Amino acid sequence: MSEESVSATEGIEEFLSSGDRSLELLFGSQSGNAEGLAAKFAKTAKSYGLEGTVHDMDGFDFNSLSSKKRVIIVCSTWGEGEQPDNAEELWKFANSDAASRLEGVHFAVCALGDTSYELFCESGKEWDSIFEKLGATRIVERIDCDVDYDSPASEWALKALPALAAVDSSGNFMEEMVDGITDYASGSSAVAGGEDGFVVPTIETEAIQVELSVFRFDPSTNSTGRDSWACSLPGHISILSALRAIKEGHDGSLSFRDGNDDDPSTAVSVNGKLVLPGRVRVDSIVSSRDESLILRIDPIPGSDVIRDLIVDHWALERKRESTRPWMVAATREGIQTPQGVIGSMEQSTALRIHSLANFDSAPLLHSSSDAVPYANGFLGPAVLASAWARRNDPRTAPERVAEIDSIIGSENGIRAETDLSPIFRRDGYPKSVSEGLLEARTKAIENDAFNGKLGKHVWWYCWTVKSSGKVNDTVLYRQVLGPIGLLGNLFSGVTARMMLGFTRTGGNVLNSLLGMVVPPAGVGKMPRQFNSSVSNHHEVVAIFNEMDGRF
Amino acid sequence: MPLKYAYHPGNAAHSGSPEVSDTMEAVARNLGLELTYLDGATSCGAGIIKQANHRLQIALNARTFAMAEAHGLNIITPCAATAGNLKQDLEKLRSDPILLKEINDVLAKTCGMHFSGETDVHHLLHVIVEEIGLDKIEKLAVNKFDFRVAGYYSPYIQMEGVCGDDSVNDPNYFEQLIDALGGVPINWEGRVLSVGAPGIFSEEPTVLRQSAAVISEAKEEGAEIIVSACNLSHSIMDIYQGKASRATGISTNMPVIHLTELLSFAFGNHNTRFAQLRTRIAVIGD
Repeated sequence: MSEESVSATEGIEEFLSSGDRSLELLFGSQSGNAEGLAAKFAKTAKSYGLEGTVHDMDGFDFNSLSSKKRVIIVCSTWGEGEQPDNAEELWKFANSDAASRLEGVHFAVCALGDTSYELFCESGKEWDSIFEKLGATRIVERIDCDVDYDSPASEWALKALPALAAVDSSGNFMEEMVDGITDYASGSSAVAGGEDGFVVPTIETEAIQVELSVFRFDPSTNSTGRDSWACSLPGHISILSALRAIKEGHDGSLSFRDGNDDDPSTAVSVNGKLVLPGRVRVDSIVSSRDESLILRIDPIPGSDVIRDLIVDHWALERKRESTRPWMVAATREGIQTPQGVIGSMEQSTALRIHSLANFDSAPLLHSSSDAVPYANGFLGPAVLASAWARRNDPRTAPERVAEIDSIIGSENGIRAETDLSPIFRRDGYPKSVSEGLLEARTKAIENDAFNGKLGKHVWWYCWTVKSSGKVNDTVLYRQVLGPIGLLGNLFSGVTARMMLGFTRTGGNVLNSLLGMVVPPAGVGKMPRQFNSSVSNHHEVVAIFNEMDGRF
Repeated sequence: MPLKYAYHPGNAAHSGSPEVSDTMEAVARNLGLELTYLDGATSCGAGIIKQANHRLQIALNARTFAMAEAHGLNIITPCAATAGNLKQDLEKLRSDPILLKEINDVLAKTCGMHFSGETDVHHLLHVIVEEIGLDKIEKLAVNKFDFRVAGYYSPYIQMEGVCGDDSVNDPNYFEQLIDALGGVPINWEGRVLSVGAPGIFSEEPTVLRQSAAVISEAKEEGAEIIVSACNLSHSIMDIYQGKASRATGISTNMPVIHLTELLSFAFGNHNTRFAQLRTRIAVIGD
């Protein structure tokens, strides 16, 4: 590194570490999205030498802003252009005569909204306007984000944060510092290359010959198919980079969701694995077949395809919205701190809540269920995992807990999942998420007192295993389906196929003499009427009695 | 030296899927597998018991592991659901010493048993490819299984730590095996997707749509027969095939047999059944 660049770097470091470096982030949020973004910006702000503090607009002292230097507003719009509930009071105050002037404040607004509403991002526009009216200085242009807000909001922050960071402790905007601060934060100023530092090398690998096969869908002709390209790709580049290369160099019509590497909306399926394509290297996922290397890229399952690899996340968003995912807080005791009275939580509780919904991409988790594409109303694992985390949050009001239990236990809730195994087998999220879904299912079954078909299935499965050590399908059919269900199976050919084994082969005509006494059980491949017990069956009973006396 | 394993036949083999037990015995003889039957082993829970009480399912399976461990053997099973359930519970015990101690306390109190974590669980498919070798399979295959075959793995063995060295999301052990037996393997996406077997009683309409989609994809890709590595999924795809077709309007006529039947026929056992199957393949389908 040259002496000049060392000196410039030292200058930026000194600038970013001296004086008041506070950044106030105010969120107006109805469903938690704005709150989440504000928290994310506050975390990112550290890279720019800023000390971010996130404030709920509800109860915030507006006039305290007059002494601040840097402010970010993140605000969603509710209904027909209305402020979210937690922003109403502050908004009224800001428009009143009691509101202080904000000269000396530099601000930026990130507005969240939905283009399907007539008044798009109206609340954010209103905050942008009132800050200007009160004399504050807009440091970057406001961004108006649609439903897929994550990627554009993150890009906007890459402009807003260095600009705010370039406001010195006296409130002067040092525009000439912005580029240097941007480089500093991204690491490209080689600040790690100082005396005790090191330069992180870019790990590159040689190009590999790959057949890249991509699903195509043209909505104008309603036609589907696949396009393949024989490519020479460096193994270290990401799947997203490979798609960009194809689009730029071969087929400009190829459509996929682009964004940051961790943009949750970019999820695709690569060789059957559900991934965020910016995070996966080509050489880590390429499949070897017939001495050629294949990358088969498809849209994630379970959502309507809009074009090529782009799927519609709107249905998922609607499902999420239907569960009313925002926090309805319980009244609880706080603890006195120098900052005032705040709530507290056991570390283990906080970790558990975090782990239950610790997934980066809701679309990716949603598509991990094999039932989602075939069960229209099913809320899906992503919505249910979030609901389960909220339900286990001690800050949630008891009446809201009861509502969430009702949602999770509803016919479109966790019982609509036919098989949890596909969710367990995927690796795009921690096991705690899928284990949380199992807990949610157990809770739903218990709340229903083992009634309904799912509850009965689980109950009688356990009961038969306790009775003999083996599952007794005949008991399950009779107890769960009941006489009407059995008749349905008789007339739909299911029973006949059981008896005949149909396409299955072999087997005795009579499984046991019981088939002669109580047909049709035991005939052909109908399950037996009674099971013989496993050896030392008393041990099985003892385990049941020791661990769960309900059965 | 014969390969020795403790044998768990899966949940349905004792009752509604006797063909799996029949053919597994013959296949084990052909392959030189020495099977020790665990007469006291319980159902693996099939992912159902754990919906009521996961620790209960783990304790029951720990008892099975302890029995195999007492014989100094690893467990083999031809059922993917059993392999997956057992393996998941095994890994939970291995990764959580506190849980292992608590479960061992229950075993000591109720059965006088102890499980130290030494036993492992394998599906037949992985033992064939990784332990026995496909070259031996080629030599044993006296009857060419000369059909276009869709191998169905199910999701239960397609998870990290359960599928041996095969790929979790894009496996090809089954295809290699079909090729070694003289068949033409079909490449299809549905081979690792769930047909919803655990939900057949409570969510039948969804299960019918899932199974119809899986079977019809195999048909569209040109398969003449599906061979399943999972007893439960095998039953769903066979027994509910007609109902699934009527419910969805999708053509699902397709013979479905189990992996152990495929091997048994190819090795020259159960020739009458194989002849019947040939006839069925000839007459079933579009």
